[in-house]
Amino acid sequence: MARKTRSSSGGGRGGLGVPKRIKAPGRIFTSKPVKIDFAGPDHRYARADLEIEGVFHGEASYEGRVFLNNPKADETTDKNLANGYAGSFNIFGHGGCLGDPGHCEVNDHKREAYDFRAPHPLTPAFKRVTITDALRAVAKTANEVTITVVPIIQAANELSDTNNVFRFESMKILTYNG
Amino acid sequence: MANNIRIRAGVHNLTDPQVSDLRQAYGGLQAISDNRGYQFLAGLHGVPSWYCWHHQGNSRVAQRMEIFLPWHRAYLYTFEMGLRDRVADVTLPWWDWTLRSRQQSGLPTIFTDASNNPLLKFHVNLPNTNPAIVRDTGRDPGDPGDLPTQDDVDTALGRTDWTDFCSALEDIHDNVHGWVSGDMGVIGTAAYDPVFWCHHTMIDRIWWLWQVRNGNGNIPTDLLDVVLAPFNFKVRDVLNVNDLGYDYAAGQVAIPVGG
Repeated sequence: MARKTRSSSGGGRGGLGVPKRIKAPGRIFTSKPVKIDFAGPDHRYARADLEIEGVFHGEASYEGRVFLNNPKADETTDKNLANGYAGSFNIFGHGGCLGDPGHCEVNDHKREAYDFRAPHPLTPAFKRVTITDALRAVAKTANEVTITVVPIIQAANELSDTNNVFRFESMKILTYNG
Repeated sequence: MANNIRIRAGVHNLTDPQVSDLRQAYGGLQAISDNRGYQFLAGLHGVPSWYCWHHQGNSRVAQRMEIFLPWHRAYLYTFEMGLRDRVADVTLPWWDWTLRSRQQSGLPTIFTDASNNPLLKFHVNLPNTNPAIVRDTGRDPGDPGDLPTQDDVDTALGRTDWTDFCSALEDIHDNVHGWVSGDMGVIGTAAYDPVFWCHHTMIDRIWWLWQVRNGNGNIPTDLLDVVLAPFNFKVRDVLNVNDLGYDYAAGQVAIPVGG
């Protein structure tokens, strides 16, 4: 993971400054369309979740607003079902690397068989958003869905890449019978 | 309460003398520069010691270390005992961000009153971290209407599976950290903000409410002997708050007796 370059002027005499709320969102993610035949009106399910694996949480804190079939959603889009809003997840970020080089590098793939130390604190996160109502609404008229995530940055300091804030490895939709 | 169990109350229910005692205890801790003091205790969470546990429900590790709730319970206990070393009868109050009044005005005034108030801010003194942090803590709170609601809490409490419940409650917790923003908004400096402890007391209380309803049967057995470093507890030791000497009460009043 690339390390955010430190600003020599950041924070002034006190060093690192107080994290701040950022008005501009991070880079918005929109998935390719995926089939949702399993969520159509003929299929009964009590709950649907969007699961996101491998979420980076090393820098800024943000709310990830999830919209279905609304690739134009941005930070001004109201959070309601008519806009495809399905729910949010929240990331409490580490606040950037406050150590020497290598401090925030997650090396779980290099560990020995007899390494009983605890996992690295920055092992990527898992997030789950329950999207039942929004998925049902979409499935009434479409058999495909796109996922859009709008990251609203709540706290970031000089060590945070506020554009590339939502980084993850995979996502999937699961439905459950009641 | 019987058996010397101490009661944690809501911030909104504190009397003026209780607020005064709490401020005195915080101020006393903040004035201590050794390992009994506020600077040391706050530094256990993020910078410079990084003992805290968050976001550990991922599938990248053999053992999903879902100990966010137990670790913070041990942490609050340790901090509360430090407060009580300064002022004997003080307990940590919870900040109930779901109250209608909080949804309208945000942070309770005991944390925002600017007159010589140790609950407002703390002077962080970390000249040797990379980069250094030597300054007062700050906040940048959001719109009060964006705080989690009782419906959000009820949804989390309705999740009977441990993993599902932890995930839901930790997300609510993350939301409030981001809402306060400033130093509370990132893991590295969050615990230096005095409101951190009352936010986490609310989270701990919600976990206890869940435990009263659901017991502890869903907690994976392989977590029970995980050590909550650097504290003198394993997960199993912190499951019952009464064993730690405290409980939560929505309200309490002493009844005068005698003539």
